[in-house]
Amino acid sequence: MNRSLGLNAALVACIAFFVTLVGLPFWWVVSGSIKIPQEIIARTPTMFPQSFTLQHYQKLFDASAYPVYLVNSLIVAASSTVLTLLLAIPAAYAFFRLVFPARGVLYRTILLAYAFPSIVVLIPLFGLFAKVGLVDRLPALIIVNVAFALPFSIWMLRSFLAGVPKEIEEAAVMDGAPTLTILRRIMIPLIAPGIASVGIYAFVTAWTEYVFASVLILSDAKRTLPVGFSGIIGQYQIDWGLLLAGATVAIVPVVAIFALIGRGFVSGLTEGAVK
Amino acid sequence: MPQSKALAFALVAPALLFLAATLGWPLVQAVQLSLQDVRVIGAPGNFVGLDNYERVLANPAFWSAARLSLVWVVANAVLQTALALAVALVLNEKFPGVRIARTWVILTWIVPTVVVVVIWRWLFSTSGGMINPLLIQAGIVERPVGFFATPWTALATLVFINSWRWFPFIALMMLAGLTRIPDELYEAARIDGASPWQRFRRITWPLLAPTLGVLAVIGTLLSFNVFDIIWLLTSGGPAGGSRTLPVLIYETAFKGYRLSEAATISVLATLMLMAFAIVATRALDRSDDR
Repeated sequence: MNRSLGLNAALVACIAFFVTLVGLPFWWVVSGSIKIPQEIIARTPTMFPQSFTLQHYQKLFDASAYPVYLVNSLIVAASSTVLTLLLAIPAAYAFFRLVFPARGVLYRTILLAYAFPSIVVLIPLFGLFAKVGLVDRLPALIIVNVAFALPFSIWMLRSFLAGVPKEIEEAAVMDGAPTLTILRRIMIPLIAPGIASVGIYAFVTAWTEYVFASVLILSDAKRTLPVGFSGIIGQYQIDWGLLLAGATVAIVPVVAIFALIGRGFVSGLTEGAVK
Repeated sequence: MPQSKALAFALVAPALLFLAATLGWPLVQAVQLSLQDVRVIGAPGNFVGLDNYERVLANPAFWSAARLSLVWVVANAVLQTALALAVALVLNEKFPGVRIARTWVILTWIVPTVVVVVIWRWLFSTSGGMINPLLIQAGIVERPVGFFATPWTALATLVFINSWRWFPFIALMMLAGLTRIPDELYEAARIDGASPWQRFRRITWPLLAPTLGVLAVIGTLLSFNVFDIIWLLTSGGPAGGSRTLPVLIYETAFKGYRLSEAATISVLATLMLMAFAIVATRALDRSDDR
């Protein structure tokens, strides 16, 4: 594509602006976590660390059960992702490829589930979980996170399913393949990018969730990363070095996962378009 | 097609039942709770009819929270959409590194909210934060600004932080809409000598409008629900300056121990959101038909 000089300049300016807006805060946090305390609170902040120390990380792992939080978060996020996919894929397939009575009404009901404030269900859910003995247990968080991710996940799969040509399915039906086999053998491989996108969406939803995890989990050993991390904030006088180290450790796992499959998320989103 | 309806129902049933149990049933319970006088979780309550509704609707705190929620939602929608549209347009161009940029722009959305909160609390802080020295160096302010010290600046800062977290996500959804616009349209426009602005105005904008509409609805619902960022940064303060409806609900239930009253506010908030969602989706359907 040929762009005029002016347009190119504007593009470069925009890119620089957004790289700064997204990247700089992260750079400051990660580089800040290895600065000595005096440098962190220095009057004139340094763009590049002038000192090097791992004392904040040492303190972080000594003073808190950070590895435990990390494992809990991974368990919750991974289980939520699997459960969301198990529920969303068949439902989306039925909604968008099969014909059955009340389909429209049911689909709209699911979308409406997306439209009410999540904090509304916090109080009744707590009571419900208390009754069945799920308070202070990780499955409670998995259930909640799936509930939040599911409506949007079904909606996200819609455009991917719509992209599969009807002929492929019809040919399989002619060959006498049962519906479930069609779903498993034909649809799922064809909408793999969409499934990857939904999976990442569900994972991130669970990974970042704070409110329910802070109310439904009581004991330190069951805490997820966000809640454990917020515990560090309150526990000490503001110790920025410790917080920056904690933030860095909380950022690294998702960044690592995203480095592996992040491209699938984005190309999945852009290939199956919004409608 | 000779597919059985029973099978279709069997495929949607798990998802539907799951949502009914985790969202539907609690919602019914919230309505029940709002008609009683329960103060703490698990305590028995008496039926009090619409007393709670009368009390809440007469309470200025409710109306000021509702007003703040409206300001919050509109301000976030404007800032998020503007940033997201700009990013989406940039990422829709071809330039070296665009694939990397498309992947990593989402960075702000994949880190836990609590981390987002700490990052910005630090950057905006008056001791050691990066923003104040930068503003002073640039000569914009003379002494450090307490961003969370006054209601107005606190709310504006919160809007910025929340939009910072969400704009890349919205941008990628917009990008999905942009990539569906056929290149031939732009080619034809260029041959006809259309300027970049005309191409945007006549091709991009009208074709992207439906996507923007859907995203505006989703974005509104998402930002209305935001609680953790506000709670962790300002706890609704200073002086109630950032006490939106979700914050008020949480405070009433877990700090004020007035569970039924919190449920009442929840039900009212739900009604507002549902009304918005229904009106908005109707409007979108209508513009689709045009």
